[in-house]
Amino acid sequence: MLKHWYQAKKIVESEKKSNIEIDTSNVKKYDVVVVGAGPAGASAAYFMAKQGLDVLLLERGPFPGAKICGGTSLIAEHTHKLFPNFWDECQCERIVMQQAYWIMTEDSLLSTSFQSLKFTAAPYNRFTVKRRALYQWLVDKAISAGVTFQCNYKVSEVLFDGSQAIGVQISPPQKKQFFADIIVLADGANSMVAEKSNLIPRVSPQNISLYVKETIVLPANVIEERFQLAYGYGSIIGLLGYPTAGFNGTSSIHTFQDSININVGMTISDFSISGIRPYELLSRIKNHPFIRPLLVGGAVVEYGASVIPEGGYYAIPEIVHPGLLIIGDAASLVNGTHGINLAMWSGFFAAQAAYESKKKRDFSAKKLFLYRTLLDESFVMQDLKANAKIAKLQQDLPYLFDLYSKIANETAFQISKVYTMPKKAKRIFIFKKITSMQPLLKMASDIWKVIKVVRG
Amino acid sequence: MNQFDEQLAVIRFQPDEEWQHVLILDDAICQKCRSKQCLTFCPSGVFRESTEAKQPLMVLYKQCVECGGCRLICDNIDFSYPKGGYGVTFLEG
Repeated sequence: MLKHWYQAKKIVESEKKSNIEIDTSNVKKYDVVVVGAGPAGASAAYFMAKQGLDVLLLERGPFPGAKICGGTSLIAEHTHKLFPNFWDECQCERIVMQQAYWIMTEDSLLSTSFQSLKFTAAPYNRFTVKRRALYQWLVDKAISAGVTFQCNYKVSEVLFDGSQAIGVQISPPQKKQFFADIIVLADGANSMVAEKSNLIPRVSPQNISLYVKETIVLPANVIEERFQLAYGYGSIIGLLGYPTAGFNGTSSIHTFQDSININVGMTISDFSISGIRPYELLSRIKNHPFIRPLLVGGAVVEYGASVIPEGGYYAIPEIVHPGLLIIGDAASLVNGTHGINLAMWSGFFAAQAAYESKKKRDFSAKKLFLYRTLLDESFVMQDLKANAKIAKLQQDLPYLFDLYSKIANETAFQISKVYTMPKKAKRIFIFKKITSMQPLLKMASDIWKVIKVVRG
Repeated sequence: MNQFDEQLAVIRFQPDEEWQHVLILDDAICQKCRSKQCLTFCPSGVFRESTEAKQPLMVLYKQCVECGGCRLICDNIDFSYPKGGYGVTFLEG
């Protein structure tokens, strides 16, 4: 009995020494533990389980998608290749038939819009989806493929044996540990698990954007009327210029079945130095003379904020480590503002690498590097590479969105306005007006810089 | 009720009464801080000025929407996500 007492005391003491004591005896070991049940994590878990791996999927929210917000679209081709005919299974809000950009100033709006019936038949182009429905669908698929799913489990850090990742520590109240041959971190932008475990450096506030959103409920027929949509179809509108109050950033309107989402965002560093309150920026857009009529009578049902990594290709950290892969937003795999589709693909590639590793029972970084190779060879990295300099361009030309949306609107105004002056004189007048906003050489240099970046 | 409170009122929270996930590490730094970017930056107004000189900022962590941006703009803010199951819940995408 004394011996038992002594042993018990010893355990307590060793717990005190370091708050994380790794105890691998009598614990079930999984093939893979996936941290985060978002598009990346759930896809990775699904494709791993499909290939026969024993997968544990952990989510800190009470259900998938509980911790994230922001209007989003699912790109049909990207998703269809991974989940054939997903539109029959996943609850999509509207089929996007109209894609528009509104270049705005405080009193004007220059719009470019394209809509086509070609987008309204399979294989479609884009869908608007609610995150909760999308994430739940992916997790359900994973579960039916054999994944063990746990929500309300928050991973605090990765457990290592030397440099080899061997498991994860769950924060209180569960305080459990789970062990696996491979750990997949899919914990989203601002990946604190990876940062705390010293796998990636802290994200720079210039490379991460804060988005705020509001969901406004309107009857379906009112949405269709106001946005000039056919029954059941939707539109995605990008708003540029005015919405970000002089900074580079984007805003958008997504139409859902019976609600619309307005988002606006810019980099965290811009928000912090400008002193603009994010929700004030949002209500400023809602009060714009051409946006307000679209929202009349709508009730705000949810306000929220989230971050999106926008550093592009150069901000991608080291994503392959011994026994560990980083996927999705945590790996900064976001191109422009669309990351969901890339996240699902990164999950798919991680699954291929995990399967190969398991087959050879080799969980070294060298073997798992297949993940990075597959990514590099795919459209994911190639597109990110092509857009690599956009983040830098926005930092170099902080006036880009603001000034050129003003110039575009001024030009459109002057062209539309009918003067009692001869045509030739009007042309000279317009030219002088525009060059007074930005000197010709400066404008040429800006355009050259943009072209250089776009050409890749 | 001003407009911002209305915006906050529509968010669903499951607050953790026992554990605060956003903390100010050192009040002395806040006393000297001139910019106080956290006051305007936070999308849900977690950081508020208080009247006490000793503790210049109040942290209303129960209305945090968990974007995690604050920890990137200020080293004096210790942010971690709430424990499993607690915190904000988004339903509407």
